[in-house]
Amino acid sequence: MYISINWIKDFVDLEGIDVEKLIYKFTMSTAEVEGITKHGQDVNGVIVAQIMSVENVENSKKLHKLMVDTGKEKLQVICGAPNVRVGAKVAFAQVGSTIGGEKIGQATLAGQISNGMCCSEKELGISDDHSGIIIFDDDVKVGEDVKNIIPIDDIIYEVDNKSLTNRPDLWGHYGIAREIAAITGRKLKPLEIEDLDLYKDLEKLSIGVECQDEKQLCLRYSAMRVENVTRRQASWKMKVRLFYCGMRSINLLADMTNYIMLELGQPMHAFDNRMVSSVEVKVLKDDAEFTTLDGQARKLDKGTLMIHNDKEPVAIAGVMGGLASEIEDDTTTLFLESANFDAVAIRKTASKIDLRTDAAARYEKTLDPELTELAIARFIKVLKDEDKDIKVTSRFTDVYIERYPHITIEIDKPYIDRAIGKVLSMEEVTTTLRNLEYDIAVDGDNITIEVPTFRATKDVSQKADIIEEIARIHGYDNIEPKTNLWAITPVAKDPTRELEYAAKELLASKYGMNEVHSYVWYNTEMNQELGIKVKDNLKIVNGIVRLDNTLRREMAPTMLYAINKNMKYMSDVRVFEVGRTFEYNFDGKDANEYKVLGLGVASTKNTEKELAYEVKTMIDSIIKINKNMDVEYKNIEEVENNWMHPVNSFEIIVNNISVGYISVVHPRIKDAINSKASIVVAELRIDTLGDIAKHDINYKEISKYQTVTFDLSLIVDKDTKYSDIKAIVDASNMKYLMEYTLVDIYEDAQKLLGKKTVTIRFTIGSYDTTLTKEQIDEEREIVLNALKQKDIYINE
Amino acid sequence: MEEKLSLLRAQVKEKMNKIKSAADVENIRVEYLGKKGEVIDILKNLKNVEASKRKEVGEKANKLRVEIEELVEAKKAELKEKEYEYKIKNAEKIDLTIPTEEKVGSLHPITIVQRELEEIFSSMGFTVEDGNEVETEYNNFEAVNVPKYHPARDMQDTFWLENGELLKTQTSAAQNKIMLKYGAPLKAIFPGRCFRNEALDASHENTFFQMEGMMIDKNVSISNLIYFMKTLLSEIFKKDVEVRLRPGFFPFVEPGFELDIKCPYCDGVGCKVCKNGSWIELCPCGMIHPNVLRMGGIDPEEYSGFAFGLGLSRLAMMKYNINDLRALNSCDVRVLKQMNIK
Repeated sequence: MYISINWIKDFVDLEGIDVEKLIYKFTMSTAEVEGITKHGQDVNGVIVAQIMSVENVENSKKLHKLMVDTGKEKLQVICGAPNVRVGAKVAFAQVGSTIGGEKIGQATLAGQISNGMCCSEKELGISDDHSGIIIFDDDVKVGEDVKNIIPIDDIIYEVDNKSLTNRPDLWGHYGIAREIAAITGRKLKPLEIEDLDLYKDLEKLSIGVECQDEKQLCLRYSAMRVENVTRRQASWKMKVRLFYCGMRSINLLADMTNYIMLELGQPMHAFDNRMVSSVEVKVLKDDAEFTTLDGQARKLDKGTLMIHNDKEPVAIAGVMGGLASEIEDDTTTLFLESANFDAVAIRKTASKIDLRTDAAARYEKTLDPELTELAIARFIKVLKDEDKDIKVTSRFTDVYIERYPHITIEIDKPYIDRAIGKVLSMEEVTTTLRNLEYDIAVDGDNITIEVPTFRATKDVSQKADIIEEIARIHGYDNIEPKTNLWAITPVAKDPTRELEYAAKELLASKYGMNEVHSYVWYNTEMNQELGIKVKDNLKIVNGIVRLDNTLRREMAPTMLYAINKNMKYMSDVRVFEVGRTFEYNFDGKDANEYKVLGLGVASTKNTEKELAYEVKTMIDSIIKINKNMDVEYKNIEEVENNWMHPVNSFEIIVNNISVGYISVVHPRIKDAINSKASIVVAELRIDTLGDIAKHDINYKEISKYQTVTFDLSLIVDKDTKYSDIKAIVDASNMKYLMEYTLVDIYEDAQKLLGKKTVTIRFTIGSYDTTLTKEQIDEEREIVLNALKQKDIYINE
Repeated sequence: MEEKLSLLRAQVKEKMNKIKSAADVENIRVEYLGKKGEVIDILKNLKNVEASKRKEVGEKANKLRVEIEELVEAKKAELKEKEYEYKIKNAEKIDLTIPTEEKVGSLHPITIVQRELEEIFSSMGFTVEDGNEVETEYNNFEAVNVPKYHPARDMQDTFWLENGELLKTQTSAAQNKIMLKYGAPLKAIFPGRCFRNEALDASHENTFFQMEGMMIDKNVSISNLIYFMKTLLSEIFKKDVEVRLRPGFFPFVEPGFELDIKCPYCDGVGCKVCKNGSWIELCPCGMIHPNVLRMGGIDPEEYSGFAFGLGLSRLAMMKYNINDLRALNSCDVRVLKQMNIK
């Protein structure tokens, strides 16, 4: 919202106050200021001149040669505006003056000398109108500086609307002026208004307001009729202020309603009395189409609150009037509406039809219903200043259905001091509150505060709100930072979070993995491109960005997107992300949410086997380091997702709990990414793994006696898993086995024909003695026998 | 016999001068001191020497043996030294300027910044909490004092989900749950991914990270909040930062503030980071609204507290001088690899 300092000066004397410092203080005490514009500084030396003669310029259709009288001299001026006429008093930029920051010099146009120029409103920066030059009323004096006629000089500052969300009282200049009065400690001048009692004996207007059962949608509807409006244009003051505050001047009556809205924050509507002489405020019984005054036909839902005349809807309450009842150029009698509507209803309607008008923006902040009367009284007063011949022909007619409760807050001085953390004087507290127009009564330390109606609709209701008032006007900058002594308790660490960080750090520091962040929804386009099929899942219903609306159930697709993107310029891609996955059962209930580590490695240099081992090592390390446990890998018999390899997909099992999988990527999808690459993905459930308790470390003494090692080379079927051999060894009941490790696996398709040799190194020993040859041989026999029973023999 | 010893001594010396390799030295040793060596032979046959001379010859022969042993050792050492010299001279020159395989990946800038902050907060006694990404409307809005149709909902374009829930628009969505879980007093931070339904550009992302914190205790004042934020931010920026509070409207706090810091990169002189504004709007904060405390099961008459939000994405961008927010979610390894682990 734009605030005009000239306008503020109507209500607060700013004499001797540095305006820029004031605006800074406003930022620090009230609301964020987004920018300051100084108008009129680039216009200087423009005066009123009178056109003495008008001649066409040869060879030009547009240009005229004028003689103008500046009061001091008569000058030849070439002018292209269509509205030149003899006798007109115009805004004239003399040679040496400035407009738009540019100095005006003598110029030659179409071979003719021009000593200055006649100016349009746009050229003076006071409107967008460039259709012709400014022509003043006849009573202005030739030679007068135009700045004495048009208030061009002003400082406008823009307040961030968002920071006014909770302040319905600040949506007009008078409310802002009240703040400025409190900030500067100066007096807020009372608003000059018409005494509406003068008209109490006039005709009463016909106003009907429908009452709703649940929530009243029209809280108050006030109206008055004014006749004999003859002026069409608003004064320069009004026009320029409206323009500087971001509105366009239309005609006197439309400008009047906007002016009062910008001044008091109360939206008003002027109906042409020929169309609307009585009103009925009620909701639509059926869906309907309605043409608003911007010419748009809009579909309205039943239940939308409308203003009706005796026949039909004429305005969408609180949002916008209808085209049919708009003020026309020949309107002389108006039916003036000043009403208060339910904030939520207006907000719903405005969002629904996507028409966020200035009026709707104000109503949705919950305006004070008391304002409707003040606004009419002010309107009549200002309109009289603009057009002295107007005649009020009705009494102030008012249907006031619902009032907001009166709010009283009890607070005590020590509470205030405690909450702010600084002891302020009682005088400062009371002055601040009074300047903000709170009614207060002080009894010792206790203060009883009556909240003014314009703050009581929702903004101020409890002690914390009063603390804010006092602290912000005092200035947060003036509160010294102070510490306090609170009990310190040790912070418990969250094992899942610890695991997450440890895993991330390990992957990045040891395995060259790069952490990525992406989105929690699937990329539909990419799924199509790569042939990834995903299961249906919870969807976003209102996303404005593309069609990616399905939340991810799995991390692997995210990894594949990242690999696909990076493989375009790298031959090795190693990425991971810890993110959430979601599982929705289409039952309208909560989705399950998981914290999952996704891993993806891709390379054109490595085989799938090498990459699978690489990823396995990562998973083993994460679990060994954080949980001190070994990991089991089990072939997945039937893969659930089409990116998983039907043969080479493995469940990751820790402590008999499934915590994820490693899978070579299905050749179909892999080829779609890069036919030369090998790709392996994995998912590890960080949350499930985090819940598994760490295996205690049990220190085992090193035997003092010598240990013995021997290797066994076993011939097994090609598809025999190491874990199968392991199971046999573990079950063999060797007496002195300390450890055994895989030394080598040898495969030779030609020599070994469907077999392979697996060499295992056994270390045996005792804590009590050095083993004898017989004991060693016996130990060897035990394991060989166990293997033999499973048809595994050694390679002699 | 004495002559023979002298002769042998002369022979050994002469041979020693000529030899080239360690093998030659060994040959000489064997020739004279080996089992059948000439000197050893003399010592072995001492019994054949006449008794009167036996002792003298024995002593002399032994002396010669020791002499030869010393010569052998010295020669061996000398040859070893030569060998080292030769090896050094002919060593392959290693070029350490060659790029070698560096198996170091990268952590995401958000992770780095988030951990740094978590550590600072932990050291100040804050617990670190996790929130959900899919949240209920109640937790995201109502419980933080933003009823339905409140204009404040405009500030946050929301991704709504088909089950009536939403993707959380702010970390504040976790406030209520955390208050109900721990009660007062309470010190907690809760970092997390947030979502806004808006179009992407260099400064707008639909997915970004925030970190929110709450401190609730008896008699927590505005002045405490200023102190705390100043201390915290000085720790984050590793220098004494100047802060200022302005009124700001956030429904879950009252009073609410916008906290600005004097630009730590230029000390307020004006630079790219602060867009020559000298102050950077960094952190919305405020005294927790009594309604929010009440909904969290905490009595606002007994306890008060403050809450603050930090834009992790924003801090990461400031820290690494990233000028396009979209880089963070790009998954572009060329971008991310520039980050490190700490």
